[in-house]
Amino acid sequence: MKNIFQSKNLFWNLTALLIFIAVIYFLVVPVSSVLVGSFQTEEDGAWTLKNFLSFVKYRTYWKSLANSVGVSLAASVLTIVMAVPLAFMVSRWNLKGKPFIIALSTIPLMLPSFISAFAWIILLGRAGIVSELIRSLGIPFDSIYGYFGVVMVFTVQFYPYVFLMTLSGFNSVDESIEEVGRSLGTGPVKTFIKVSMPLVLPGILSGTLLVFMTAVENFGVPMVIGEQKPFLAVQAYMEFTSDIGQHPGMAYALSVVLIMVTMTSLMAQRYYLRKRNFIQSARGRPEIKELRGWARRFATGYCFTVVLIPLIPFFVALVISFLEMRGPVIHPNFSLQNYSYAFSHMARPIFNSYFLATVATLISVVIGVPAGYILTRRRSSIGDGLDFAIMLPFTIAGTVLGIALIVMFNTGFLVLTGTWMILALSYTIRKMPFIARSSSSILYQLDPAMEEASISLGVNPMKTFFKITIRLMSGGIIAGAILTWVTTISELSSTIVLQTPGWSTMTVEMFQGILSDDMGMASAFASILIVSAIVPLLIIIGRFKEEGSSLF
Amino acid sequence: MPGISIRNVTKRFGDLVAANNISLEIEKGEFFTLLGPSGCGKTTLLRCIAGFLDHEGGQILFGDRRVDGIPTHKRGVGMVFQNYAVFPHLSVQDNVKYGLKARRVPAREQAERASQALALVRLEGLEDRLPNQLSGGQLQRVAIARALVIEPEVLLMDEPLSNLDAKLRVEMRGEIRLLQQKMGITTIYVTHDQEEALSISDRIAVMEYGIVRQVGKPWEVYVQPGDAFVAGFIGTTNMFDSEIKTSEGGLAIAQCGGVSFGLSRSDGVAQGSQIQIALRPEAITIRDIEEPVPDGHWVLEGEIIRFEYLGSMIKYEVGFSENVTLLVVSYDAEPAKIKNVGQRVKLSYPIERAKTFRKDRPQ
Repeated sequence: MKNIFQSKNLFWNLTALLIFIAVIYFLVVPVSSVLVGSFQTEEDGAWTLKNFLSFVKYRTYWKSLANSVGVSLAASVLTIVMAVPLAFMVSRWNLKGKPFIIALSTIPLMLPSFISAFAWIILLGRAGIVSELIRSLGIPFDSIYGYFGVVMVFTVQFYPYVFLMTLSGFNSVDESIEEVGRSLGTGPVKTFIKVSMPLVLPGILSGTLLVFMTAVENFGVPMVIGEQKPFLAVQAYMEFTSDIGQHPGMAYALSVVLIMVTMTSLMAQRYYLRKRNFIQSARGRPEIKELRGWARRFATGYCFTVVLIPLIPFFVALVISFLEMRGPVIHPNFSLQNYSYAFSHMARPIFNSYFLATVATLISVVIGVPAGYILTRRRSSIGDGLDFAIMLPFTIAGTVLGIALIVMFNTGFLVLTGTWMILALSYTIRKMPFIARSSSSILYQLDPAMEEASISLGVNPMKTFFKITIRLMSGGIIAGAILTWVTTISELSSTIVLQTPGWSTMTVEMFQGILSDDMGMASAFASILIVSAIVPLLIIIGRFKEEGSSLF
Repeated sequence: MPGISIRNVTKRFGDLVAANNISLEIEKGEFFTLLGPSGCGKTTLLRCIAGFLDHEGGQILFGDRRVDGIPTHKRGVGMVFQNYAVFPHLSVQDNVKYGLKARRVPAREQAERASQALALVRLEGLEDRLPNQLSGGQLQRVAIARALVIEPEVLLMDEPLSNLDAKLRVEMRGEIRLLQQKMGITTIYVTHDQEEALSISDRIAVMEYGIVRQVGKPWEVYVQPGDAFVAGFIGTTNMFDSEIKTSEGGLAIAQCGGVSFGLSRSDGVAQGSQIQIALRPEAITIRDIEEPVPDGHWVLEGEIIRFEYLGSMIKYEVGFSENVTLLVVSYDAEPAKIKNVGQRVKLSYPIERAKTFRKDRPQ
């Protein structure tokens, strides 16, 4: 502790301290007030267990926990079924167009999941195009509303987490390790199960936990396709904002339950990974099996089908946006009416989305890059605290964060509720950790001798950070910033809580369009969002191939 | 060019004492090498001198100027790193100018000095290349030019050759030595390669477990190793545990596995003491059984177990009773004189070439 305030470390320790204080003030305190609120009565703030007793007593509440966890677990299992064989084939077989398979697989992560849900309804809803088709064949089919739909959308939307992490696992199993296994007299299949699988398992499991966490905190998909079934994030939002009768105390209690679920799964992931960190030591690449003729074509076709199916809804949304719509009814005529409506009546939400995402991304970079630097290069007691502080936002669902920020900044000396700043603040809290993590992983690959060489040549450490470190990180930082921007414009779960009429966003308008059956407007916004995400994504894939790949 | 004084420098990492009360006086213009196995503290010491690490006790001086406490960028050191650390986003020329810019040297002088430095390391014509267009050897030359162009008070080199292939390593070490002598710059060089250290240095400090075991000229540490570690670490040596049987006159006799070795009698070699004997392979002469032996030589008889013919020399492994073997190097590689496996031979060595170390010395 003694050297924390020495001049040499002063700048970095002060920076770490500031970030630490910001996390406490803008995240820990608001979330704590939700925690406190859950034990208080709504009327006079007296201590009570009423909210939690209601949670146990009323079916809607406890069922929302069961639904959220059950649906997320089911999606986690299904992503494994979908992604692990895919990852194995892409890693070990000589498929055609592998880079395309990988690039296509990343797209669902960049696009809002509720757009996917919305477009699946167009296809498989009660009046869906495909539903009608199925029924015309005489097969009884209602729709995908309900649990099945939620699980399906989660699966096709979040499978890339498992796919990409498993893929890097399979890619880093050294050929020689498998050869050693085989040379010791085990057959290929047994070697795979006994030698390769344990090395890949950490990747699979941490990918699956990511799926679980993303699914359990998801707001849009169950809201759009869950059809009145209660889910934690949705229920908390409804109790907080309902027109009929608000129950903030109940919303707090549901938030606390949700935090407990996400916190537990994150802890489980960290605990699991701490003991198994042997994935990165491989040198050689694994052997690629040469398939020929039909086998190769079939495998390639299978893999492309798997990565293309999740993209169908986005394609559908794009097509629909150019058709004439009257409410939920589609007329097969080409039309730009959806866009003319969107741009004339909804210019403000479009501007808001871009503006808020840009502000939040810039702030995230300004804070996140130094934070990543401290995590990697300046480990001290403050640095360890920072590591924990930066993990925290991952455990707070967007809906919960929105509720917490409103509670905190409604009154007092800093009133933000109802302003654009509270939205920018929420986005920054949610995205900054991503910039910090990716900066830190870029820095791990950067030889510290670069910085030391600069210092030894007479450039002080501060200037060295800007002239050398930042310069060498810039490719990765830009790629990370673009990804942050892309995922920020599609943020819904905290926006829906925090938005006000003047500061609504594309996602909010689109979401309300879906709920009020205004499919035309929804599809126009969906298309604008998709294009806004795909274009930057293509830029990254084109320009920052190397750096970009380490970010996913 | 000042010399460097290191006085009682200690550096700990938690419980590990990486540098333990080290004192060294390095002359001005001297090429001084810190040599030792990995983890011996040589890089730690170098990084303390550079200012990347804060040591706990003691002082470091460049000439009369005390530098500990002064941050690295104000110490005036030139440093060359193991992984070159050439800035990948700058051209060769801009890499070399980097330190000059920081010193606000006028632009024209920058260009002049940079081209001189590049000429010195024989990289003329590559000024505008980017680092990813250069080979490992060229990168290291850029790094050296970049460190020298700022005219540092001392030059610090941290295993600069270990990433190069063997042939280039030998070539580059000759060049580094020549350059250093031409500029007369006080240099501290870190390596784990004992041959490199012997070939390049004015003096060597051999380190182990954060302690300097011996400081001396290359031939001193080779021929007169101060302890068993130095004897074993530098060069190839026959080492074995033994016990002094008799010790009288100028001669002590030690026994190991039933074989007797004659040793020059010195302090501490009392009868019954446990010792280690170190005997260089080239100190031993291999002879036919009937050949006469000069005075002052100790004679052993053994049998050739195997040999390696290496062109300029032959390595023999000679066996005695009960699994005691000696490695012998003979530069008399004339085909007619090559001994055969199984042949009985006479070995002799001057008794003062057998070094003895007490085994009970504190580690």
